[in-house]
Amino acid sequence: MSFLDIVIQLGRGLGYTLLVTLCCSVTGVLAGLVIACIRRIGFYWLRPLLDAYAYIFRGIPVLVLLFIVYFGFPSIGLKVTPLLAMVLSLGLISAAYLSEVFRGALNSVDADEILAAEAIGLSRLQVFNCIELPQMLRFSLPGMINEFTTVLKYSPFAYTVGIPEITKQAMTLSAVTLHGVEIYFAVGVLYFLTFRILLFAVQFIEKRYRIPGLVLKQRSSI
Amino acid sequence: MALIEVRDLVKKFGDQVILNGVNLDIYEGDLKVVMGSSGSGKSTLLRCLNRLEEPTGGKIVFRGENIMAADVDVRALRQSIGFVFQQFALYRHLSVLENVTLALRKLKKLPAAEAKDKALAELERLNMASHAGKYPSQLSGGQKQRVAIARALAMDPAVVFFDEPTSALDPLMTREVADMMNRLHDEGVTMLCVTHDLKLAGQISDKVVFLDKGVVRAEASIETLSQDHADERIRAFFGREADY
Repeated sequence: MSFLDIVIQLGRGLGYTLLVTLCCSVTGVLAGLVIACIRRIGFYWLRPLLDAYAYIFRGIPVLVLLFIVYFGFPSIGLKVTPLLAMVLSLGLISAAYLSEVFRGALNSVDADEILAAEAIGLSRLQVFNCIELPQMLRFSLPGMINEFTTVLKYSPFAYTVGIPEITKQAMTLSAVTLHGVEIYFAVGVLYFLTFRILLFAVQFIEKRYRIPGLVLKQRSSI
Repeated sequence: MALIEVRDLVKKFGDQVILNGVNLDIYEGDLKVVMGSSGSGKSTLLRCLNRLEEPTGGKIVFRGENIMAADVDVRALRQSIGFVFQQFALYRHLSVLENVTLALRKLKKLPAAEAKDKALAELERLNMASHAGKYPSQLSGGQKQRVAIARALAMDPAVVFFDEPTSALDPLMTREVADMMNRLHDEGVTMLCVTHDLKLAGQISDKVVFLDKGVVRAEASIETLSQDHADERIRAFFGREADY
């Protein structure tokens, strides 16, 4: 097996890793946002359900939930694809954590600003859209980058349900080439580079949308 | 006819009575000052008048309409009443200009260009047009308060409420805000200001309403209240404030 073959195989694995990370992160952000928004705006009867969801999903190991979804669901007639199983496990666990990040960020929005917006006649939904949501997204960025990193680091579980992501490729390559140390080192470097690129992208967004004058107080410590 | 008539207004939080039968009239063009110590119910009074707090009892008539009726459009009512807060309450993620245009776009549905022109005119009126691109964190306390006033005036309200407008400001900036309020008064803007800042009260109004334990105890000049009023507590309050 040539060096180029190894690079191509690792590259293919990296593609799957990025796909899993992206799908799970997007699911986590969207579901986390929906949960945080519902909790904030109203729907009081839904809150116990959402609180229970966040409480339970933050306490279940990713691998256990993944196996429940991928190996358990077919026994009740629900067959899910490997990627969907990752989204329903890692993605929804991420959503549970992100909903807490968003809740904390919403609590950082100045109550006086909300009161001022209501006092001028804006509806509850307008106050949320125009005042709370834009600030919440900015304040959430440090927590979001932490969660995206966690999702990236949990993505190797995808190989247990048959997704040939980068760790799976490395296992195969190391068995074939007997150069496990070098290959796993290369995998480590690729994960690190992916993390740095992700971080750079989020920091760029953070810089682009930071609130002048508040940047030092709100800036990520990462 | 008064612009706002308040009759026997009561507000309770649980068993705690905050307003215990307040009576007050505000006429067009008035600059009315309500004073009282902390916890006297001043801010609650303002919040009841635009239904940020639900009154427990009594009657509030605004432009001849009972605004405590069940079918009152509360959001429309609030659009007719400007509100300037103690801590300015500017939207910190929006520029000065955006702070002023937000309600114009969302509530008055003005096109962006028209809202911008209107906002700039209000900012110009308060000498803040040159700061339109700045963010609240980049302004001084006095400048923030001027933006908050411009934001309130941009909606062309029938009356502007000021809730302790100078409590977060130093004496120089307090003077600035007082001058601003006097100028607006000369222009015919109706204002209701609650404060415990006697200097501000003296700078903007000849007479003040004294609120104590949720009841209007007196309405007279500061001099009368501090020296000649029959109630010793009122004399003490204004005397102490005057010393301060």
